[in-house]
Amino acid sequence: MNGSRTLRQRLDVLIALTIADLRVRYGRGRFRVVKWLIDPLAALGVYLVLVSFAVSKSGEARGLSIACAVVPFQLVIATAVNSMSSVLSRRNVVLNMGFDKTLIPVSSVLTETAVFIADLALIVMTMAIYRVAPTTAILWFPLIFVVTVVFALGFAYPLTVFGVWYPELRLFGVSALRTLFFIAAALIPLASVEGDAHWLLQINPLTEIFESYRDVFLYGRAPSALNVLYPLAFAALLLAAFAPLYRREQRQFAKVVD
Amino acid sequence: MNASVSAAGVGVRFLFDRENRVVTPTLARLRRRGPETWGLRDISFQIGPGEGVALIGASGSGKTTLLRTLASVLVPDEGRLEVSGRIGSLLSIEAGLLSTLTGRENALLIGVLAGVPLQTMRARLDDVRELSRLGDNFERPVSSFSQGMRARLGFAAAEQLDPDVLLLDEVHEAFDHEYREVVERQVAALLLRGGIVVAAGHDHPMLARLCDRGLLLEKGQLKASGPRDEIVQAYLGR
Repeated sequence: MNGSRTLRQRLDVLIALTIADLRVRYGRGRFRVVKWLIDPLAALGVYLVLVSFAVSKSGEARGLSIACAVVPFQLVIATAVNSMSSVLSRRNVVLNMGFDKTLIPVSSVLTETAVFIADLALIVMTMAIYRVAPTTAILWFPLIFVVTVVFALGFAYPLTVFGVWYPELRLFGVSALRTLFFIAAALIPLASVEGDAHWLLQINPLTEIFESYRDVFLYGRAPSALNVLYPLAFAALLLAAFAPLYRREQRQFAKVVD
Repeated sequence: MNASVSAAGVGVRFLFDRENRVVTPTLARLRRRGPETWGLRDISFQIGPGEGVALIGASGSGKTTLLRTLASVLVPDEGRLEVSGRIGSLLSIEAGLLSTLTGRENALLIGVLAGVPLQTMRARLDDVRELSRLGDNFERPVSSFSQGMRARLGFAAAEQLDPDVLLLDEVHEAFDHEYREVVERQVAALLLRGGIVVAAGHDHPMLARLCDRGLLLEKGQLKASGPRDEIVQAYLGR
């Protein structure tokens, strides 16, 4: 009974933190979904131009292929940005009352997941543009959705601590993650990359995530076990290493953010 | 109501790096270590039900650090601190408010973070609006609020937590004359119910209306404890 009450209480805290975070980060009103779409749409446009004219790689439904990288990466990078500022943006609350701060990184992920769900419209849109019909492979989407969210959560804990420890280096943190995007099979599918680069790109767990989206939405097939398990294992490793550190550090946040 | 506060040898330590930035113990191991200072050291006292306690001392004496420790904002690095009862706190002019949220949204967030169930807190929001006396401003973003209005909202939100222990740090001095009376009435009712009020500030006449007992702090240490007037005299006659 006591356990379920505590769980209910933690869920309430998580909901309250997330709703407040959505309003603080993305404003309010009916058109805020449009704001959520602008960033990934702009990124998709830029990368599409880059791939079409600069890289000049051929391939099927290039826009959809890039959207399959841009959309899941949007969740990872937005979670990173959110996490790094999540304690400082709640400075007034952190300094005024004791509360369960272990939920802050989870709340960052939930906030950005809400935006991510809206961003999925971009994949639907590019599927329509390239006349790629959905197949039964789409039934695998819930699984790769969970993998993407867990992967983002893996980054949330270390980056929240990083944002508190080194607030002046937050931009560097974002740049480092963007670099991770470019050294993954983001702009072109992994199958188009040959030689050593193919294997090097596969080391990056983002490649597996991007490929799983391409499998489901572009190629109409089930994602491979590696696509699913490798990012999950990577996230588990991050959580195992940094969740205990976060738990220890959050007790000291008020001293540092004052 | 069964409120109590018990502190035994409580200490709160601040570590700095070479550039005098406050760092956590883990970060202190990674960066070149600077000096360390104790914001509180060897603080021991008891507060029982129905007691109003004023923290008296100069700026930097440890009043805010002690209030934050009582509120569980800071965790003691040594000693033992036990606070029984639900805590309501108003520890800064910003009063735990997020400026882009409305008064209603802030009150909801404060309540839920303090442990009130979401549905219960939603049902109490009109009472917070009433007690804050903010009228339609309650539905507007806090960024448009004056300091006094923020303090009202923070106080009303803290009150709706139905606190057993109410912690006030100088911010109550931001209240206008009319609202001070509201605060004093609420505090008197809380003490009558067996609650505890701990308040810090430099407005001694106001502290006198809220508290009967005083704790004198100096450089993070407890120098004296006793009837408020004696403690104020001891502080002013240093």
